[in-house]
Amino acid sequence: METPAIPVPEARSAVPASLRGLLPVLLALPVLALFQWLMSDAPFASYLLSVVGVNIILAVSLNIVNGMTGQFSIGHAGFMAVGAYISGVLSLNLKDVALSFLPVAVSDQVFFVVSLLVGGLAAALCGFLVGLPSLRLRGDYLAIVTLGFGEIIRVVVQNTDAFGRALGLSGIPQTSSPAMVYFWVFLTVLVARRITGSSHGRSLWAIREDEVAAEAMGVDTTGYKVRAFVISSFFAGIAGALFAHFVPIINPGSFTFVKSMEIVVMVVLGGLGSTTGAIVAATFLTLLPEGMRSLFTLLGAEGSLAQKVDQIRMPVYGLLLVALMLARPQGLFGTKEIWDVLPRWIPRKRRGLA
Amino acid sequence: MSAAVQETKAEAGAPLLQADGVSIQFGGLKALTDFNLSVRQGDLQGLIGPNGAGKSTAFNVLTGVYQPTQGEVRVGGQRVNGWLPHQINHLGLARTFQNIRLFRALTALDNVKVACRAQGALHPEGVGLGAKMKGAFINYRDWWRALLLTPRFQQEERELTQQAEHLLEVMGLSHRRDEEARNLPYGEQRRLEIARALGTQPKVLLLDEPAAGMNTREKADLMVLIRKLRDDFKLGVLVIEHDMKLVMGICECITVLDHGETIARGAPAQVRNDRKVIEAYLGDSYLESHGGAA
Ligand SMILES: Nc1ncnc2c1ncn2[C@@H]1O[C@H](COP(=O)(O)OP(=O)(O)O)[C@@H](O)[C@H]1O
Ligand SMILES: [Mg+2]
Repeated sequence: METPAIPVPEARSAVPASLRGLLPVLLALPVLALFQWLMSDAPFASYLLSVVGVNIILAVSLNIVNGMTGQFSIGHAGFMAVGAYISGVLSLNLKDVALSFLPVAVSDQVFFVVSLLVGGLAAALCGFLVGLPSLRLRGDYLAIVTLGFGEIIRVVVQNTDAFGRALGLSGIPQTSSPAMVYFWVFLTVLVARRITGSSHGRSLWAIREDEVAAEAMGVDTTGYKVRAFVISSFFAGIAGALFAHFVPIINPGSFTFVKSMEIVVMVVLGGLGSTTGAIVAATFLTLLPEGMRSLFTLLGAEGSLAQKVDQIRMPVYGLLLVALMLARPQGLFGTKEIWDVLPRWIPRKRRGLA
Repeated sequence: MSAAVQETKAEAGAPLLQADGVSIQFGGLKALTDFNLSVRQGDLQGLIGPNGAGKSTAFNVLTGVYQPTQGEVRVGGQRVNGWLPHQINHLGLARTFQNIRLFRALTALDNVKVACRAQGALHPEGVGLGAKMKGAFINYRDWWRALLLTPRFQQEERELTQQAEHLLEVMGLSHRRDEEARNLPYGEQRRLEIARALGTQPKVLLLDEPAAGMNTREKADLMVLIRKLRDDFKLGVLVIEHDMKLVMGICECITVLDHGETIARGAPAQVRNDRKVIEAYLGDSYLESHGGAA
């Protein structure tokens, strides 16, 4: 099954080494611009694709911790909430401020990006504070602590006026766009892939495989786990911040334990450790309820049944997960990526640098 | 250590690894009592004893997996009580495990690369605040280099690959480069563990029953290889081995443990005829299978 050893040629790509870091970004920008242009007249598609994108960011970032590093975090929605509320409140307060030397639309986007980054960094800080004590310990502490963290965030939000309590926060400027969401999807995936292809990624895999051996081989296991967790939390915060800027209202109901489990199911379904698996699973599991809803509406079950989709969502996920564990416990792709799994006639990517 | 051995190694200087009166207790069980040891560059020492004597426990205490309840461990002159295993490893102490603990889903090459990368030269971590800050800075800089895929990072990756490939070659594993560790035959997994340990550029190498499960021929080859590694990599080596004959063949100094106590120490000829040693091994029915030759 393995191919014979072929040494990596020194310069196997035509791209100069100095450009390889930036090239994907340069390629992505025109694609995103085109995408934005196509989406400009389709509000529902824009919304749906944005939700898909946010879930991809969540799944791919959680996969860095639960997949690559072999830890078990079940409070990702908590970090998403931190990003959503911090950036939401910030944007609300900066609503009427504008950079006078820029056109209004551009000025809005500048503030939006700043607000996103603040949300992401706030979530990353929470990730650090939650991760540092719990990742020192082995086993299930992280699961318990992240579960607790998610609940604490919810309770804090419900009891803080600035966050709109249980009613939620509305009126956040709707400055998000599919292009912005997918730019961050792209960044998240790029970061995940580059971690995988680097010595940091190998250290994370080593921790997943055998923590004692990794320590003995000089890997600062706690340090690596915390850093992976902080990066993961950062992107969860970004996802939440993006979310807050395209939905009419955010409330604690959007960031419950159920949401956390939804993300865990995506990662497990895609295959713990597989970035492309997380992307496929997140897309599928986001569109599935939408599809069901449309189907019911089409069948004339307007209202009642269509609304039930949200209620039967969790049982459906549960069944999916059980079926998966029985049929394919390693998930869709296992630890592999989609190009390792696809039929042979599709040219395969060598293992290594992303 | 015997006087004779001490003399021949006189030029090697201070011990790279030293244990002073180390004891460890698990609940009521004294797994290791007043354990002393000193390994210098160029040493090839043996640690033997019946099953459950406390040999692996000794390794675990030396490498920081367990904390001694008494006594002191020094690596390169530095007291390492309370240090974490990876920090001790950065001081130049590497090990293999009795029950092979490879990164099973990683390729042979990546197993070694993990070890090569984690090295002190690149991450000068210590336990002091200054060293920690410096380590943290280098660490974050390295993450950014990896994320931005800088030319410097790409160059480092190539160097790591070369380094790891070289070690695979030394251990006769080049043909397994891209195979997952779990798919390697048993003997090769043991050798891969040694390659991985060498990747951390150790000064002292601890091998926990490296020949376990091998046939006689493989064992003999391995012992020759271990001696070669000691010379080529300028190591001090401490080997745990159950097969007394093998240890006797290559080690200059042997420590014998029984029930956590050091019952004998010295040159092979000396240890072989020690009454306590013979008794300990008789109890282990060792002599039954080896016809008393040991
Ligand atoms: N973590 C532990 N907790 C309790 N007892 C232990 C632990 N590790 C080892 N022991 C005990 O210490 C004794 C020595 O074990 P070990 O060092 O593995 O022996 P060996 O000489 O065969 O390598 C055994 O009785 C073992 O059960
Ligand atoms: Mg043992």
